[in-house]
Amino acid sequence: MVKQMEDRHSVWIRFCHWTNMIAITLLILTGYYIHAPHAFRLFSNMDTPRTLHFAMAYVLCFGVVLRVYYAIAAKDAKNIVFSLKEDTPKFPSMIKYYLFMADSHPYYGKYNPGQKMMYTGWLFMALIQIITGFILYKPDMFMALGGFLGGYLAVRLIHYIVTWLFVLSVLAHVYLDISEGIPVLKSMFTGKIPADFDHGTHEEEVKADGGVSA
Amino acid sequence: MPTKLSRRDFIRLCAGSAAAISMTGFLGPYLSEAVAAGAPPVIWIQGASCTGCSISLLNTVHPDIKKVLTEVISLRYHPNIMAAAGDLALQEMYKVAEENAGNFFLVVEGAVPTGANGAYCTVGEENGHHITFEKLVTDIGKKSAAILSFGTCSAFGGIPATPPNPTECKPVSKVVKDVPVINVPGCPPHPDWMVGTIAHVLLYGIPELDTFGRPTMFFDKIIHDNCQRRQYFDNGIFAKNFGEMGCMLELGCKGPIAHCDATTRLFNGGVNWCVKCGSVCIGCTEPQFPGWPMYERMAEMPVGPATSVTVDQVGGVLGAAAVLGIGGHLAGNVATGRIGPKKNEEEKEGDN
Repeated sequence: MVKQMEDRHSVWIRFCHWTNMIAITLLILTGYYIHAPHAFRLFSNMDTPRTLHFAMAYVLCFGVVLRVYYAIAAKDAKNIVFSLKEDTPKFPSMIKYYLFMADSHPYYGKYNPGQKMMYTGWLFMALIQIITGFILYKPDMFMALGGFLGGYLAVRLIHYIVTWLFVLSVLAHVYLDISEGIPVLKSMFTGKIPADFDHGTHEEEVKADGGVSA
Repeated sequence: MPTKLSRRDFIRLCAGSAAAISMTGFLGPYLSEAVAAGAPPVIWIQGASCTGCSISLLNTVHPDIKKVLTEVISLRYHPNIMAAAGDLALQEMYKVAEENAGNFFLVVEGAVPTGANGAYCTVGEENGHHITFEKLVTDIGKKSAAILSFGTCSAFGGIPATPPNPTECKPVSKVVKDVPVINVPGCPPHPDWMVGTIAHVLLYGIPELDTFGRPTMFFDKIIHDNCQRRQYFDNGIFAKNFGEMGCMLELGCKGPIAHCDATTRLFNGGVNWCVKCGSVCIGCTEPQFPGWPMYERMAEMPVGPATSVTVDQVGGVLGAAAVLGIGGHLAGNVATGRIGPKKNEEEKEGDN
């Protein structure tokens, strides 16, 4: 009965994933209360969400630093960093699969190009949020940077828009992961995935390319 | 190593402390002393402005305007309150600037229109030709020891420089280079900020300035942090309409992004200020003023010219598109048998 399992996510990846997930979720919830306390009555006062927001901002900072360090130190970067040159040609087959025009997709490596693009985008989005967030948190300390970006109101607008991008992309992330199968979701907890899980078909054309990504 | 303070040093220290804790009334005697000892003259000129800054100056209470004009400042030119007019006044101004080159202070009120070679703002005549304000600011400004930009228009462009800005108004600091510029923004600035800044440059030189050239002694505090209604914010009580109790953030208050000490200094001789009388802070001391909706929490999304789209609308549309996309894909997934009962059957088959 015991399924053959293989390692997928190291403990550090899982740790970063879930701390960042908690931080980002709380940041979005508290942030939306700070944005619209009347329409979004999640908290009864402004102190709690603000304290949480600032605490989680630091958690996210350390989470991002840790994840970037891990990606470099454990040579995990090639799995998640989107490469314009190598990953863009893989898009058509992926889109065909997602639009039900193909029954299977070639083996892309650990993640498909769409995932890579999203995860790389999240790094830059997180950096934008951290920078704009700290301008708004310490307006006196980062006055010059705030002015450079067009003033605090423009900074707030950027911060808010990128929050929406996070919400929408997380939505897509969660849906696509679950729709690929519960084992994918499970693997983020246990770190293991069934050895016979379909990661895509190995085709000859992919093998030629797979030598680079392997 | 402690040094022995002379009487003069001691008085300077007292005056400095008085300025530091915003007791400008105490500055009067020392300023009189400075003027008596031959303090540098001050020239006040007006460009694209509403004269509100001058009106605000006339409202100064401690010291009152009579004292300011007769004892505190050696004011040689002011379009509104001087007795002379026309050619006589202009010649006098040029004479003062010439005689005290590099030693007088120029106060500029209003932005500098630079469109059409400055023709949108002419301030006098010379040999039958118009003198544009741009030329006046450049000519007089170059000779001054420092330029004091009073009001948001001269400091950052303000209302005249707000898009579409057909007159191409610019702040003074963009027109005159190589001369130190002190920005005292506000719409209008508090009289204490103006008198206090003049007093500081006359007595001690140029004060400490922040990134945007504002004296930190008046502009280092954020309205929101010192607001009387701050407790409402912390408790999550927000006014939905004007006149209600509660923090006015939802009504578009710009307190969290505005720098000045109006919360504690109070206008009209220490009686009242914007939020205390039930209005929102419009952030008039900030460089971007008034480039934002005064009574809106967040600016509209600049998706194109002449559109009024909020970020929430854009987010809502994108959110709906995402939900539809996911729903459609889910339906497709079930229909093609990638997930759902069909898949399980396949898996079972596969396991067998």
